This record gives sequence, C-alpha cells and structure tokens, in this order.
Amino acid sequence: MKKMFGSLSVAMVLVLSLFAAGVLADSHTAKLRVVHASPDAPAVDVYVNGDLTLEEVPFKADSGYLDVPAGTHTVEVFAAGSEYSEGEAVLQADLSVEAGQAYTVAAANTLESLEFVVAEDSMSVTEGKAKVRVGHLSPDAPAVDVGIIGGDAVFSGAEFPAVTDYTELDAGTYDLEIRLSDGTQVLPLEGTEFAADTVYSVFAVNTADSLEVLALVDYEAAASPDGMPTTGLGTPEQSQMNWSLAAGSFVLAAGGGLFLRRRFQH
Amino acid sequence: MAGCQAEADEVSLRTKEIGFVEEQPQKPQSPTMNKNAAAAENPINALKQVKGIKPKTISIPAIGVEAEVLHLGVTENGEMDVPDTIEDVSWFEPGYEPGENGRAVLAGHVDGAEGPAVFWDLNDLKAGDEIIIEGDEGTRSFKVYAMESVGLDLADVDAVFGYRSTPELILITCSGDFDHKRGTREERLIVYTKLVEK
Repeated sequence: MKKMFGSLSVAMVLVLSLFAAGVLADSHTAKLRVVHASPDAPAVDVYVNGDLTLEEVPFKADSGYLDVPAGTHTVEVFAAGSEYSEGEAVLQADLSVEAGQAYTVAAANTLESLEFVVAEDSMSVTEGKAKVRVGHLSPDAPAVDVGIIGGDAVFSGAEFPAVTDYTELDAGTYDLEIRLSDGTQVLPLEGTEFAADTVYSVFAVNTADSLEVLALVDYEAAASPDGMPTTGLGTPEQSQMNWSLAAGSFVLAAGGGLFLRRRFQH
Repeated sequence: MAGCQAEADEVSLRTKEIGFVEEQPQKPQSPTMNKNAAAAENPINALKQVKGIKPKTISIPAIGVEAEVLHLGVTENGEMDVPDTIEDVSWFEPGYEPGENGRAVLAGHVDGAEGPAVFWDLNDLKAGDEIIIEGDEGTRSFKVYAMESVGLDLADVDAVFGYRSTPELILITCSGDFDHKRGTREERLIVYTKLVEK
C-alpha cells in the first residue's frame, strides 16, 4: 500500500474513515488515545483496521482522544515510514471498545518486547476534586511508590506495566516524589498542581536511569444540558394565529428564564 | 393542520443533504514539543496552559455575521437556553469556554416570525471558514472542519457539549422540517470548528 500522506510528515494524520461511519454527534462512539511509551522504539505509524490513522508518533507523544465506533478494532503498529503489510506489524492487537468509554492504549516495553498496555480512562470527577492515577511504563525500573515528600504514599507498589486505579484528591499543590519502597527518591515532582474538576494520568516512562514523567489530562468536567436548543422562532406559515401563540409562549419562556440570564454591555 | 406534523419550508430545503467532514492533520501532542519552560520542571504543571475566554462577540466573515454573545444556561425543561432575540447568539455558560479543551457551544436562531435570524446562513459555511470570538481576556479564532444536520432524537447531547483533548467551538441552529407536534424543527444544524493555534 502506498503512503498517502507523505507530504504531511511531521503531523499525525487522522484518517477520515474513523468518522465516516455516520452521524458525528451520535452516541455509538468510544474515545481512544494512543501513547508511545517504548523508550528505544523509533517513531511509529499506527493503523486501525488497516487504515493509516496516526503517522510518525515519536516516543512520549500521545494522539489525544480520537473518536472510534464502538466494537472491535485491529490496531497495528509499524516503524514510521514502513510499507503496510497485513500481519507484519511489530505489534498488533484486536481491541474491543464500548460506546461512551475512553481508553488509553500505550505501546510499552522495549522494542524487542513491545506490548500494548490498555487502560480504561475516567470521564468523571467529583465536583471540586482532582482525580489522579499513575502508570508504571518504565520497563526496567523497580516497583515504586508515588507520595508526598516526607509524607504518606498516594500510590504504593506500582510495578511495570501496571496502571493504578484513580484516586481523588483535593485540588491544590503537592510536593510529590516517585520513590522506592525503602524511601529512596527516584524523581522529585515538587509543586505539582492538581486542578479541580480534572482527571489526570501520570505515566512514569523511559528507562530506570533516565526516568521521567509523561502527564496527560484525561478529562476536564463541565456541564451539559439535557436537550438541544430550540433555535428557530419562526414557523413555515406565519399566520396571525401562529404568531400570537408564539408570542404568548415567548413571554412565558422569557419570564421563566430570567434568573439564568446575564446580558452584557447593558 | 390535522395530519400535518412535519412541514417543509425554505429552512428545511436549505439544510437537506448537507454535511461534510474535512480530513485534516492532527498535531502530535508531545511534551518534547512543548516550549513552555515549566514542562522541563514539572510536566504535570505544563498541562493546564490552555485557557479559554468568556465570549462577548462572535464574528463569521464568510457569512457576514457580527453578533453579541449572551451567557445563558438551561431552560426550565433542561434544554440549552437561547436568546429571545433573532440577532443575538447564546453561549452555554455552564459548559466549556471557547479556547479551553472541550466543546464550547454557541446557539443562534435560524429564523424569526418575520424572516431570517442571525444563523440563517450557517448552512453556507465551508471547511476552513473562520469564526472569531472576542472577550475581555482576548480573541480566539476557530476554523470549520465539519457540519451535519442531525435529527433531534439522534443527537447525543453529551457528545455535542462534551470533552475533547483540544479546544473546539460548536455552532448550533435549527434545521429540517418544522414539526408542529413538537413545536420545533426536526433537526439541528451542528457546525464543528477547531481552535487555530497561534
């Protein structure tokens, strides 16, 4: 198969076919995010169901969430720029995704032992709280804790290739560190700010001797209404009767909604 | 009126068979590409740098729209609220701000009792057309990448108003045949736009 997007070599290319399945605003899609977490692997191209979906994803890059139809998808990873050939991927898996769920798919471990680490992501958080989890994606690093410097562990005994459950914290600033179970500091994360209404994934990546953090926001909360807006005041026949009826309901609606309204420059 | 539940008119004809999705490159979200100095210090703190604005005006040069943006919430029946006037646009204030990650939603009427309203020509937008939002905190520009006209029962409200890993702005107006039983049109025209990175 010929490379279709050679001219856009720096960019990841999101292929149309992921969207083409129907209505954009329907409820039958899942969110899928791909992360390159293999320290010695080259940049990769990712194919979903045989279609080039992400191009030249370097180590420590993530795709952001893509919409994919619910169902089972074949995800294949090739070294960037290599010809697509079915069954010849350096890494391949069939991934089942449910509508309304979000997933992180990390290509992890060393190139020689490349594997997918799949985690289900949270799209909710208690109002005013921060929600955090950590993932141990450093193939040769020992089990670690993540905790307050000089204080309690928030996450204990995280081992490669585990992604912990989420835990909710008060929003605020924390002096954190990644440390061994005996307390030896591996990586300081002083002054870490966790914002309210936000869900975080903090992945420890790279090799043990150059351990670093790849942090991602999974979700930021905001309200949704129960229904779409009614955005037409007209009707096909603007008869006198229709108009007076519409005017009547208009006054009612305006009165009922007054407490919600804030008009600017008045 | 008996038996007449869905009625075609100019609005519904204009939005028949409408819709597109522009194929476009996704920028990699790599911390290595983040020039922010904070990234080197503590990558977690480099995450929430994307700030939104509270919109005061919207302008869409391609269709000659210049309008004030009201900050509204929900109606008594839980729908996104809309302006009482045909010339203003409403922002769903409890949702995302234009410019922050997630879908900020603006709505405007397609018509009024006497003719076209602010979003009458929304169906004429093409991929790449620019939407400019201004507020006290600054200006944000968005580019159209998709449009669809969706049946009210098919539209997933949580998706239209939902979280995204990048900033998006959604414009909504009414489309489709007029449903006399429901007292509104059968569809909504939804325009999807993405923030233009500076």
